[in-house]
Amino acid sequence: MIALPVLAGALTPWLVPMAALAAATLVRRAHARHSEPQPWVDAGIATLMLVPLAAIVAWPGTFTPARAAIAAGLSVALLSHDPRDLPQTEVALKIMWVLAAAFALSWAGDALLALASGSARPREQWPALALALDPYALWSAALSLSLLAGLVLLGGAPFHFWPGDLFHGARPHLAPLVAATLQMAGAVWLQRHLDGVTSFGGAAQLVRALLTLSAMVALAGGAATLGYQWRPERRVGALVSLQGALMLASLAAAPTRTPFAEHGGISAWAGHLLLASTGASILSHFLPAAAGPAERASVLFRRHPWSGAAGAYALLSLAGAPGTPGMYVWLDAARTLADLKHPGLLFGVALAWLAAFSVAANEIRRAFGAPDGSPPPARPVPRSLRTALWISCLALIALLVVWSRGA
Amino acid sequence: MPGPRIRIPASYAGAICASAGILLLMLPGVAWAALGLELVALAFWLWARSLPDSGEQLARWSWLRRPAMALWLASALFLALPQLHNVFAPVPVPSPTDVFLPPTLHVAPLPMSRDPMLLLRTIASLAILWAGLELMAALPLSRPFPDLTGPARPVGPWLTALLPVTGFLVVWRQAELWAAAPLAREIATLALMIALVLSSLRAYSRRSLTATLRWLVVYDSALASLLVTRDVVPGSVAALLWLGTAGGRLISLAGELKTKAARRGPALTRLWRVAGWLAGTSLAWPLLADAGFSDQRFHPLEYGVLSAPVFLASVLWLLRVVEAPERRAMSRPEDHAPLVSRIGAVVTLLLGPSALVYAWWNGFSVSPLAAVFAILPPLSAWWPVRRMLPAPGGPAPETTPGGTRDFALSTFRAVTLIERQLAAAIGGIARALGAPARDLHSGDAQEYLLFLVGVAVLALLLPVLR
Repeated sequence: MIALPVLAGALTPWLVPMAALAAATLVRRAHARHSEPQPWVDAGIATLMLVPLAAIVAWPGTFTPARAAIAAGLSVALLSHDPRDLPQTEVALKIMWVLAAAFALSWAGDALLALASGSARPREQWPALALALDPYALWSAALSLSLLAGLVLLGGAPFHFWPGDLFHGARPHLAPLVAATLQMAGAVWLQRHLDGVTSFGGAAQLVRALLTLSAMVALAGGAATLGYQWRPERRVGALVSLQGALMLASLAAAPTRTPFAEHGGISAWAGHLLLASTGASILSHFLPAAAGPAERASVLFRRHPWSGAAGAYALLSLAGAPGTPGMYVWLDAARTLADLKHPGLLFGVALAWLAAFSVAANEIRRAFGAPDGSPPPARPVPRSLRTALWISCLALIALLVVWSRGA
Repeated sequence: MPGPRIRIPASYAGAICASAGILLLMLPGVAWAALGLELVALAFWLWARSLPDSGEQLARWSWLRRPAMALWLASALFLALPQLHNVFAPVPVPSPTDVFLPPTLHVAPLPMSRDPMLLLRTIASLAILWAGLELMAALPLSRPFPDLTGPARPVGPWLTALLPVTGFLVVWRQAELWAAAPLAREIATLALMIALVLSSLRAYSRRSLTATLRWLVVYDSALASLLVTRDVVPGSVAALLWLGTAGGRLISLAGELKTKAARRGPALTRLWRVAGWLAGTSLAWPLLADAGFSDQRFHPLEYGVLSAPVFLASVLWLLRVVEAPERRAMSRPEDHAPLVSRIGAVVTLLLGPSALVYAWWNGFSVSPLAAVFAILPPLSAWWPVRRMLPAPGGPAPETTPGGTRDFALSTFRAVTLIERQLAAAIGGIARALGAPARDLHSGDAQEYLLFLVGVAVLALLLPVLR
């Protein structure tokens, strides 16, 4: 009995990418076009292209800012490779449009910092800047600009448009992996840029102020967007953007500390994000966009209510509901803020969590609807989609077991 | 081919959820209480969605998730916050004899400077209080719910009375967490006193006994919560006193729905009348003694505000529990309702005084003057009974238009109308302030880039403008 969680802990680094890839294969198979003669082979090939993204999410140790840009480029390429898929191509264009500008501005900031400090390595830059040989306006502007790409990639408000667009426009087997990769890239970008920043008090103070402001905006904007969004796919996008806001809040409290260290650090955060958004994005395609609470349940919930419940677990985990692994992600961020005495940000996290949990619970209630006595629809939901929902749910439960044992 | 399906009827599923929820509410942890309230809300949702008028019922009971969310928020904050020391340190107060002296200003560090987490700790405490008060119809948003029938057809009128029960359980079991926060006791006392007055007025203005009993359960729960809030007696004694009173009303309400079991025959009716009155008096007596005569002096305002609803509730119970007309030629031998009703009445009769004896055994004491004054309002309720009870064979007393019942009704309606308008105004202001948030997600690619450039300029300017 004791060996089971230990085994699960050892398998966790493999669990997330394998489960995500399996779910992606099944979803791709379910959405195969009629013109595809070998749907399983096509799904397998599509999954092979996603392996690098899954590997990045699972093992971010070797991730550098330059590789983050490459990963972003790869994500855009994956989104845009199918010219027949117009919504997905549009998403790719939009993301490329914004990321290119963000990377350009941040690289300009990096170059200015290198110019001011005489080194391109962040750890060597801070002691050089601490000598106060350069004007404040130069290095402060350079530092602010250099963080911009990380903020955009994390997807917190006001840059929360891309997760919403991604989950609404991109195909469901691709969107979660791209979102997790880009957000992971953002987190790594910020972490690498802030390496050793505490050795220069002025820079640390500026970084804390900037990140606190960004986190506040991301939390408030994410929570407000959740309330105003109608499409379930965009609501999933808003929940994903709140995960970026949590990362920002953790970094604002402790810029040099590894966020979510109690439960495996950034890779665990991204792994949970990947699994939960996979289940939630599949589920979102079955959720009613404009139905009232008393209307008939959606097809999935009338025909296969337990599979619907499995998808609902992923949605709840993304919102950080109690009893899900997502709860630990939110709690870790809140504890970091409480330990380091950030009551304002903690209050923002609490409000955003409340909004996320309420919206997720209401979505699930609307999905179950009210029974009207009519028989369930004759045509079932594809088995592969239901299996994908169960895979993400079971992987999340395994994550919960591992994390609760660790806690 | 689909396999066999296991279908649990909504009524059973709801009953299981509600029972489990109430059991969880009795546990001390706030997370258990949150889960318990969530299950109660789930039960109401399950019942509501299974009815033919599900749209109306779902909208009517959707507010039940609000107290549950308040408790979830509190439990999350208490989980996240470290143990705070000296946050709620006692502040010196002037001597109780110096009533008219202005409060002394103490030069001391502000609470927020002692610990910046005080605000969040206070929010968590107030969230628990919010949940408890809202379920007891002590907050404006949920005030009229005891007027409504619950969403399960056979036991609907009884179900609504379940909610004040959950409210009291929250207030009682989580008292250690919420009562220590600054202003929490004062807010709770004010809200509960208003609820006490309004619930007794509404109970009086309703003609049917079932509706009156539902409002009396609200009244009992508010009274017992006041005992907890003012720390008059230990929480366990307050719970026992509440159990005797509200439990008795719930049993008689259940009996009312099933062949009026509490009012069958003159002896049983008389037993119930005495039992309910004694339980209600046992509940109100320590509170009246404490509120009226605390700190060795008489508090006429508090005594007056509390004694009026106590008197009214006692009168109502004595007046409305009258023998039901027997329409059956003979009772069925398998009908155990009268026996169960009699046992319930005896338990109700014994529970209140036993709880007071238990409290006295544990050190609770009242001055003789306070004891006499505290018993006066419920005792004087017997007088109108003798006046207003119809003579044998005579007609039932009629209330004239513009009489006391109309006054009670119009007072209740006026207060709830003002409360609703206030709540609507606050909601309108919040919506107006939040309206710009609608533009956050325009979805236009050009705007994305403009946004990015704007943020970049801001990032450049902010450090310069330090």
